[in-house]
Amino acid sequence: MTGHSRRVAVGLVAVGLALSGLPALGLPAFYESFLFLVFFWVSLATSWSFLSGYAGYFSFGHGAFFGAGVYTTATLTAGFAVPFLASLPAAGAVSALLAVGIGAVVFRVRRLRGELFGLLTLAITFVLATIVLNTKIDGGPGVYLSAVPLPRLVASPTGTMYLLGLGLALLSVTTAYAVTRSRLGLGLFAIHDDEDVAEVKGVPTFRYKLAAFALSAAVAGVAGGIYALYVSYVTVGETFAITVPLYVVLMSILGGARHWLGPAVGAAIITASLYAFTGGNTAVLGRAVVALALILVILLLPDGVVVAVLARGGAWRRRGASAPTMHDVAPIATAHTFRAPRVAASVDGGPVPAPTAAREGAPAVAVLVCEDVWRAFGGIQALRGVGLSLGRGEIVGLVGPNGSGKTTLINVISGHYAADRGRIALDGAPLTGRPAHAIARLGVARTYQIPRPFGHLNALDNVALAATFGTVPCTLAQARADARTWLDFTGLGRRAVALPGELNLHERKFLELARALAARPRVILLDEVLSGLNSAEMGSAISLIQEIRGRGTTILFVEHVMRAVLELSDRVVVLNEGEVIAAGRPGEVMRDPRVVEVYLGKTHAA
Amino acid sequence: MPSLTLLGQSMVSGLLAGGLYALLALGLSLSWGLLRLVNLGHFALAFLGAYLTYQLGTVGGLAPWTAVLLILPLFFALGVGLHAVFAWFRVREFTSLLVTFGVTVIIESLIQWYWTADFRRYETPYASLSFRVGPLYVPALELLACLTAAALALGTWAWLRFTYVGKALRASAEDPAIAAAFGVNHRAQAFLLSGVAAAYAAVAGGYIALIATLAPSQMWAWLGVVFAVVIIGGLANPIGALFAGLLIGVSESVTMAVVAPAWAPLVSFSILIGLLILRPGRA
Amino acid sequence: MLLEARHLAIAYGDAVAVWDATLDVGDGEVVAVIGPNGAGKSTLINAVAGLLRWRAGELRLDGLDLATVPPHLICGHGIALVPEGRRLFTRMSVEENLEIGGYRGLARGARRQTLERVYGMFPILRERRQQLAGSLSGGQQQMVAIGRAVMAKPRLLLLDEPSLGLAPAVVDQMFETIRAIHDEGVAILLVEQNVARALEVADRAYVLEEGRTVASGPPSALLLEARIQEAYLGIR
Repeated sequence: MTGHSRRVAVGLVAVGLALSGLPALGLPAFYESFLFLVFFWVSLATSWSFLSGYAGYFSFGHGAFFGAGVYTTATLTAGFAVPFLASLPAAGAVSALLAVGIGAVVFRVRRLRGELFGLLTLAITFVLATIVLNTKIDGGPGVYLSAVPLPRLVASPTGTMYLLGLGLALLSVTTAYAVTRSRLGLGLFAIHDDEDVAEVKGVPTFRYKLAAFALSAAVAGVAGGIYALYVSYVTVGETFAITVPLYVVLMSILGGARHWLGPAVGAAIITASLYAFTGGNTAVLGRAVVALALILVILLLPDGVVVAVLARGGAWRRRGASAPTMHDVAPIATAHTFRAPRVAASVDGGPVPAPTAAREGAPAVAVLVCEDVWRAFGGIQALRGVGLSLGRGEIVGLVGPNGSGKTTLINVISGHYAADRGRIALDGAPLTGRPAHAIARLGVARTYQIPRPFGHLNALDNVALAATFGTVPCTLAQARADARTWLDFTGLGRRAVALPGELNLHERKFLELARALAARPRVILLDEVLSGLNSAEMGSAISLIQEIRGRGTTILFVEHVMRAVLELSDRVVVLNEGEVIAAGRPGEVMRDPRVVEVYLGKTHAA
Repeated sequence: MPSLTLLGQSMVSGLLAGGLYALLALGLSLSWGLLRLVNLGHFALAFLGAYLTYQLGTVGGLAPWTAVLLILPLFFALGVGLHAVFAWFRVREFTSLLVTFGVTVIIESLIQWYWTADFRRYETPYASLSFRVGPLYVPALELLACLTAAALALGTWAWLRFTYVGKALRASAEDPAIAAAFGVNHRAQAFLLSGVAAAYAAVAGGYIALIATLAPSQMWAWLGVVFAVVIIGGLANPIGALFAGLLIGVSESVTMAVVAPAWAPLVSFSILIGLLILRPGRA
Repeated sequence: MLLEARHLAIAYGDAVAVWDATLDVGDGEVVAVIGPNGAGKSTLINAVAGLLRWRAGELRLDGLDLATVPPHLICGHGIALVPEGRRLFTRMSVEENLEIGGYRGLARGARRQTLERVYGMFPILRERRQQLAGSLSGGQQQMVAIGRAVMAKPRLLLLDEPSLGLAPAVVDQMFETIRAIHDEGVAILLVEQNVARALEVADRAYVLEEGRTVASGPPSALLLEARIQEAYLGIR
């Protein structure tokens, strides 16, 4: 347990013990009732944020899981005389099952994100409400729980309710803390920022979303069960009203949907404020004020109150020591003599002494093999029967005019897209047909031409994520330690706690590299890593790539900057309109008449 | 199995109800399709329009058509104002859903505060008018609503199809940067469109006041149906919205006749869910 | 001098695509900008068209500082763009695409005549005028894109990689059309990856490499330049 975890644990236990002593004070029942409501909303809001806050899948259907829990308890206790406490896990289970059922279908459909997911969950709530209303579950008149015996935890009924609510709230908040500190949490945060990249970096996105959804629903279900007994008379209208979905969204956003304590703080604030508007017309206006608060918070404080307060207080270290400028970033491997751009390179041999790579024909040990790969988008055939192989420790350059299919090939190898036909294998193991996160686990890493870091995670966590979901499974703590090493390797050591938005392009490109390396891949696919860099930055990038190969990683890189291609590559593969038109040593390939024609036109090739 | 007359009557009722759904869906379909902003507030605006029509009618003694004409410019301004907020804060698609969610609740609360939660019925002499077509009754007001929907749908379609502004709107929706490169001012158009969509809400509201019973919570009941119509009909497709509305209206009312009234809301929501999951690509 | 660019610097966020570009286009001239991929050619032409803003440097049209002109008014001054990848309004018909080209005030009045001219240039488009632009072949789409720009009655026509993704025979036809448009007195700024074609049709050309204009002159001189070989093939 880290120091921070220890402090939080102690804090939670202390608060829990203190609050549980309240019933013994003999205060008027009002306090217990009011605090019960606070705990109730803390549980609902916190549970909502598991999926919607952390992963960004905004659900407007929390009311469905709440309602499922309400009616499970109502049916079991009033209809089948099941003891109340026993009905609570059942309520949680039913809601969780409902979530899993929905998620299994919806999370597979790629375009059901954002507002469509929100609409869908809202629609599901209405459907559930109609079903409950029209079947024997409720049927119309509502369900009475007044005859259900209340377990006697303490003398008074309100005290018992209070303790149950407290228990659930503590459980929710503790779960939130645990999740945000775990691999699951890191994965969810990555999904929030860029789900496709998270998948390609090894995060099992489908499983994680399902887990978060089920967990969130389970807590909501139990909350519903407790609430059923609290009100002791449930109706469809009240249970499935717009109140629950609206309030949990507001409370979480107000407090901060990504922070473990955010929804709890938001819930406390809103419940207390609403209390000021009780009864009659003021209750109505109270709702309007609440909605106005939602709008203002969304527009002005998109990260929530907790984050805003913490950032101001400086307690949350997102900035490292004074950020060094690009020039301070020491180019690594100063021992290597990297070529200044204009130095002539001999045309025959390669300019760089390459340790192991075979220089001619097929390499000795093939690490990555593509056979007859085809891929089309709509009517456009992007790849036509592409075949290439990478030898262990080789650097292969992939070149070709715009639209020739280079990035598509990288996307297909890394699993971003599936190949229509053909075979891709890594050290013999087939990659085609596997989900992207499995391909990442097997040892394929890639960078993006336009860097796609996870915007809300600092540099360290960006790299740590790749490390923990990479080829070598490890704990988060270990991953973070590894991440530091990789950041140092790419010269970003002093920027570890910076957010990607605070890094310049050069640094973000190197962050991409560090992220790819941290997965300890067997093959790295680099997509135009040099574009946008000036000459000096390019020089240091070239050195870095050579150093990476020096450590035994095989590299396939797409590039337009020709002299870099010549300097770095052991072999060059030329694509044109989805086909390989030439492959071999750089000097030879670039003089091949077909290649010259493709780049310069017929007159030049003559 | 209900009689043919009953079936026929329910189909007629369904068609007419569908017309009202389409009327409500038109503005939403336009703004979502052409501006890429989801305006949940559309429902609230329509209901506000309904209540204002009611108020002007019962207290002010104005004929419903006059009332609607009066509030049209006000609603146009409201639409423009709402978009100004979106533009100022550079709100994108998903945030617009959240913000307009809030706007809807605010308007609903204001309506409830002023007019209370009691059900209200705008009694007009037209309410009892109906035509007989064979054994079937065709209520005049609903028929008028349906015809207005058809007229507006066709008019909107023609506007988008044949006028320069309409074509510019469609071009902007698809590729605003290139449209701008040919002189299309996206910003100005967005304001115009928001105003127009809000005006449509006012018209829909007028009919809602005449036909339905008013209660603040009712606006949420229409939400699912209308979203279903918008998505089924296709974003920014006025004729599609019209037919989708009619389709849903008929399926609902036939379900009510054949199965049971309480199951009716399930129809539109289920179609919506099915479509969201199964339909390829954006609506 | 119709168009003057002086030391333009253009970036996407902080990814600098063009560091220092300087060029001129005279009235009725055909000027080509060639250079390898990633050199910044498209970025440069997009800035002239108003799709991008520049960080530093000056861009003047007939002396008017284009930095003072909002994007949607650039077309009004007589600049029309044929974008990279066509970027047609795929859900609109061929004729509607052409009509949007003629949206700007000065062009709108002469719309019908210009439309007839465009159909004269590309008879096949007349046959397919009601067809959805997205359903046409690459070559036909390019015709629509060029026609759309012609509809704006420009003084300066911008062409961004027009030969991209087109079969050689189609490219031939297209460059014929470009010559015809030029013959009517329209100045042309052309960005091309296909060096041979570009230099065949240009009066003058600039070489853009890694975001800088590194050479310029008449085509005959440039073709011989070792620079071209170097820039494209990396061969010294």
